[in-house]
Amino acid sequence: MISPHLKIAPIKISVKSLYKVFGPSPKAMLPHIEASMSKDDLLKQHQHVLGLNDINVDMQEGKITVIMGLSGSGKSTLIRHLNRLIEPTSGQVLLDGINVTTLSKDGLQKLRQNNMSMVFQNFALLPHRTVLENAAIAKLVRGEQHKKAVQSAQVWLERVGLSGYENRYPSQLSGGMQQRVGIARALCAETDVMLLDEAFSALDPIIRTDMQSLLAELQRELKKTIVFITHDLDEALRLADHLVILQDGKIVQQGDPQKIVLKPADSYIDNFVRDINRARVLRVRSVMLESQDKKVWDGEVNADVSLETVISKADGNVDHNYKVVSNGVLVGSIDMRMIFRALVPTRSHISKNEPKNIS
Amino acid sequence: MFERLGLQQWCDNVDSNEFSSVSDLMAKLGKAEVNQNFWDLPQPSLDTLNKACSAIPRSRDFTAGVEQAFLNIKDPLKVVLDPLTQPLSWAIDGTLYALVAVPWWIVVLGLMLFAHFVARSIRVTLLVFSIFMFLTIIDHYEAAIQTLAIVLVCGFISVLLGIPLGIAMSRYDRLQRTMLPFLDLLQTLPTFVYLIPLIFMFSVTESKLYGIAIIGYAIVPVIRLTDLGIRLVDKDVLEAADAFGMPAGQKLFGVEIPLAMPTIMAGINQTIMMALAMVVIASLVSAPGLGELVLQGISRLELGVGLVAGLGIVLLAIMIDRVSKAALKRINKVKSE
Repeated sequence: MISPHLKIAPIKISVKSLYKVFGPSPKAMLPHIEASMSKDDLLKQHQHVLGLNDINVDMQEGKITVIMGLSGSGKSTLIRHLNRLIEPTSGQVLLDGINVTTLSKDGLQKLRQNNMSMVFQNFALLPHRTVLENAAIAKLVRGEQHKKAVQSAQVWLERVGLSGYENRYPSQLSGGMQQRVGIARALCAETDVMLLDEAFSALDPIIRTDMQSLLAELQRELKKTIVFITHDLDEALRLADHLVILQDGKIVQQGDPQKIVLKPADSYIDNFVRDINRARVLRVRSVMLESQDKKVWDGEVNADVSLETVISKADGNVDHNYKVVSNGVLVGSIDMRMIFRALVPTRSHISKNEPKNIS
Repeated sequence: MFERLGLQQWCDNVDSNEFSSVSDLMAKLGKAEVNQNFWDLPQPSLDTLNKACSAIPRSRDFTAGVEQAFLNIKDPLKVVLDPLTQPLSWAIDGTLYALVAVPWWIVVLGLMLFAHFVARSIRVTLLVFSIFMFLTIIDHYEAAIQTLAIVLVCGFISVLLGIPLGIAMSRYDRLQRTMLPFLDLLQTLPTFVYLIPLIFMFSVTESKLYGIAIIGYAIVPVIRLTDLGIRLVDKDVLEAADAFGMPAGQKLFGVEIPLAMPTIMAGINQTIMMALAMVVIASLVSAPGLGELVLQGISRLELGVGLVAGLGIVLLAIMIDRVSKAALKRINKVKSE
């Protein structure tokens, strides 16, 4: 289902069979988990909490990897393993091939200073420092010149729309503005990797949408490797290049978000994706027919626009047939019937395939 | 009869050398046991038990033992403590000498400047001025300045020792667990009791004698509140500091201490107030100042002298409290602005 224009980027972060058990003797619990004991049984019989269970994820350079799950699914635990704010019980986290889990204390500190920056759900700004100093903190920690650090912080604050607030204190700003400072702080670190832990979850819906647009816009320009944690599927689908869905510390499905919406792996994900606005989420490229046959077309649409855009373009016509182009090249065709079919939630998709297989 | 036999055996075991007295005492005890009704049950105190069985020490042996034990460790302890605490004597004596030697108007002006520097409030500075003028007019200036000197020196040393100790306690749970009962002890020990071992340890003419008593009593709140303040620093902010690779030293001085500052300042305020409370008690061991006048009032039944000196102490307390609270308020304001 991966469209031809989606090139596979080199892998920046690779998580390999990562386990995390919380409790007095976590290592001793690993055999039980490998014997596929459930999270509940482990808690009941051994009083250990299973945080992460055999996580394997490859995160591509310059892409947004979204890790989604309900609270308690281990998503915040997982992101904290990437910069080792939490020690793993077993497994590896590789950043550019370097194993983060075996780094020395100094090595880890250097890695956090130079390679990864983080944005937090509760902003976690230093309340006694000004907005400007907060934004510059990564560079100040690295020991860069104060003047230069502050200058660059100024630039990033402007970039997130906060010029004029440099000398305020965080408590004088609204939640949305505080999180802009949080983002400026992470950007000012100028690291390749940015970790966002439920960065927008504490914000009002409208501000949240603004912040998502801001992030998407920044990402188009900066092409950072972003790991984004959320419990909100709409947010996940909006931002994700690669979507990882966690349940009880285990990955239940990962891949192209479009594919997950169209073909949910199980009823858990099915429940998730049922209530979303499919017309807005699904892109033309995911539902089009890939063929270069020349036909008579009623118009031309870009492969990356949403179905909603096509429907509004059709303006009430139900028999229109469009040419799909990507970067000016013909890649396929889409008609209104395909669109309507894709709009009906997943169960119809499953039942559509199954009778065919039987007959 | 059985009981008697059993008890005799026990006493014989303990005190096998004194056959004659034991049998004598046993007879007494036996009589008591026979005549005993529930109402007359004797107190099981050391003295009563000693009557029954001389193997058990009397209460005065017990107190004598404590005294002897203290005297035994006194000399080696003094060898260590004496030079260690000598700077305290110098600091107190030096400050007392300096503040009394310098003309009164320079001292008052200096105190006003200091109050203005820490509190940045005209009202507080004026309060300092009027209180000192009042004390000068009623001829209590010298006693007040002596009391203030002792409080400031001891308060300063308490803060100097207490803050690092509090930080260490916030770092190591184990240290906290060992320190807490000790701090509870320092706080609940009646203030007079502080003085007793110190009198034996040092000469009454040495100012470190009351200096140690004051510091021991006043240091507790600053330790406790430093520990508490640092433990209460927002975990999210600390996690963010970690996530940006902040080294431990930077984290302590750049994040933890500044964020704990309001709590630490509250501790400093408490410490200074407790030092003031103790300096009055310390007049029993020759601490000069207003406390001495209060003591004079009590011992010579000079009602007026005692009451006026007491009023002076209250005024000093108000002044110190206002200055340190204003400083605390200023720090909080800077933070939340």
